[in-house]
Amino acid sequence: MKNVIEVRNLTKAYKELRAVDDLSFEVHEGEILGLLGPNGSGKSTTINCLLSLLQFESGHIRIFGKEMTPDAYDLKAQIGVVFQDVAVFEELTVYDNIDYFCGLYIGDKNTRKAYVRDAIALTGLEEFVKFYPKQLSGGLLRRLNIACGIAHKPKLIFLDEPTVAVDPQSRNNILDGIRILREQGATIVYTTHYMEEVEILCDRIIILDKGRVIASGTNEELKELTDIEEKVTVEVDRISQEQLAQIKALEHVKEVTNSKNVVSIVYREGEDHFGKLLAFLGKEKIRYHKIYSERPTLNDVFLELTGKELRD
Amino acid sequence: MFFHHFKYTLKYLFRNRLLIFWTYAFPIILGALFYLAFSDIEKNEKMDLIDIAIVEEVSDEQGSGLPEGAVSTEQENGSLEEVSADQGSGPPEGAIPTNRELLLETMEKLSDEDSEDRLFRTVYVSEKEAEKLLEKGKISGYLLAGGETPKVVVKESGINETIFRQAVGETMQNAKLVAALTEAEIERQKKEAAEVPVDVETVSEKILREIQEEQASIRDTTGSNLSYTMIEYYTLIAMACLYCATIGMYAVNCILANMSKKGMRISVSPVKKGRLVLGSLCASYVVQLLGLALLFIFTIFVLKVDYGPHMPRVILLALAGSFAGLSMGIAAGALIQANETAKTGMIIAVTMLGCFLSGMMGITMKYVIDKNMPVLNKVNPAAMITDGLYALYYYNTFHRYWFNVGSLLVFSAVMIGISFFALRRQRYQSL
Repeated sequence: MKNVIEVRNLTKAYKELRAVDDLSFEVHEGEILGLLGPNGSGKSTTINCLLSLLQFESGHIRIFGKEMTPDAYDLKAQIGVVFQDVAVFEELTVYDNIDYFCGLYIGDKNTRKAYVRDAIALTGLEEFVKFYPKQLSGGLLRRLNIACGIAHKPKLIFLDEPTVAVDPQSRNNILDGIRILREQGATIVYTTHYMEEVEILCDRIIILDKGRVIASGTNEELKELTDIEEKVTVEVDRISQEQLAQIKALEHVKEVTNSKNVVSIVYREGEDHFGKLLAFLGKEKIRYHKIYSERPTLNDVFLELTGKELRD
Repeated sequence: MFFHHFKYTLKYLFRNRLLIFWTYAFPIILGALFYLAFSDIEKNEKMDLIDIAIVEEVSDEQGSGLPEGAVSTEQENGSLEEVSADQGSGPPEGAIPTNRELLLETMEKLSDEDSEDRLFRTVYVSEKEAEKLLEKGKISGYLLAGGETPKVVVKESGINETIFRQAVGETMQNAKLVAALTEAEIERQKKEAAEVPVDVETVSEKILREIQEEQASIRDTTGSNLSYTMIEYYTLIAMACLYCATIGMYAVNCILANMSKKGMRISVSPVKKGRLVLGSLCASYVVQLLGLALLFIFTIFVLKVDYGPHMPRVILLALAGSFAGLSMGIAAGALIQANETAKTGMIIAVTMLGCFLSGMMGITMKYVIDKNMPVLNKVNPAAMITDGLYALYYYNTFHRYWFNVGSLLVFSAVMIGISFFALRRQRYQSL
């Protein structure tokens, strides 16, 4: 598979702090790569180094097979960026903002007009083209931010936390738009600290912590890194310490926690955990209201690898 | 790409209310305040018109029937007697405009309602009526222009009477000068070409015109247009030029990755930074030129400010000054690591300080700085602009004016040079 991005031994430090520490990875053509990590894990710094905005201490960055430098204009022409912070002109309308940024890449007026129209449609901003940014809600503003970054139909798109502080409707709209961009052939690097988004969107995931890669692979591959098979949660009327200890002693149970009569049971392996648990609750005459089962999440993986939650 | 960036830079600059206020509204508001504050001073400085009468045809009993207490300056003012036509050495008879014609013509000009130099409110009456008017105190004096020797008749010896006598005296002096020069010129021409008849009338007219032109030229360069209010307006122009720095700073801030989020987005585009800066520079200059045009239109047509005969040079200096202001803003945008509001504050503070040192709050300050710290005003663009404007009115040549225009251009070149050098750093340590 052709590599669109190759990063080798990238190191970036802010004085004593190593924001990116000997980072190496690659991004394949046509995939959506998720860079997942808590705040301060080095995701945005990595993106800014890739874009030649930031100086870095060591390492090599190749994009489309060429060394990425500040004056690599041929490479820049193929890249679109959606920054974490909204970067638009308050004095320009929605249409003018998209047209301005698109115009930095596309010289031909007619082509640009069509591209701008496509970007507006993709982000669902048709009704707001004459609005000024300050008249838009947070979600619409994020959509405008995306439209400005992708209107010129780039081959490689960096999306740096595009859904931060966005309402569910706008989030769904944004995620749908990203899928469409991928279908159109774009390679996408997607950074976020929302594990649900990378799980449903990304082909491959790199988990970062303190500027280092702590795990990478597909969603399934990453989940195999943990010895959790299933997590069952049950809400009970009451349960004694003795009964909790009995559950812990059941086959394949790794861990049992109780928080205000909501009991979580983590299983390492095995089958039919649900049935066995229900049988135990019946035998002990423990009344329950809700019971549900979950597969392990990326948060569990992160917890397992680092000992802390993704959103810590 | 250049025009695309230029067009949108124009758009967002015009829609930035804060910038428009500082660039367009503030100088106009300040100009209006100057007008309100200083126009009364100007008005008070202006003299009231002096009421006089002219008697063109004198009755037979001229000189003998003066009103009681009145004096004839022919008897009392030696200068008038000296310049009477029949006492000159005398050019050919009837060929040179007589003193009487010159005198009446001048008095008419000094009484012209449309003239800014109007000095007299004049009535043309008979001698008897003039006597009555003088008696009643309706006029300060009257001129008996009918006889061979013009006479000024006044009753008192106040300021108005003195001015009246001076005006008539100076006119007669000019007439004498014309007569003497014409005579000399005729003699010279006679010697050079004895056969050719000398056109005395043409010669005298030419000499008169030359004298008048010389006087006009002297008047232009004596600073007659440089009142206290004008000095304020010139400093206002300097300030408006330098406020252009806020536009330049904002435009550059928008394209630098370490200054704004928009700058980050623009920096990852495939457009060269030099082209972006050039586009921003041109757009900012257009915005500034419109602001200057509005300021000139407002001051000329609304406040009725008279910039005198050097208007094109004033505009040229303002253009150079604006360019200096713009380049200062671009340098501030590129070099100072602070947010936009802080930078705007700094620029306004520096501009106000520059204007203060160049004499905005009192011309004395400019002289103090020029005397004690001349280097300061040599590098102060506000001082360069105001000094260039003063030079137009204080000096007969334009050397100092051009020196100031040149200084502003050198200042601009240095600022832009520094900015481009700073902008060459294309990767940042932090964002």
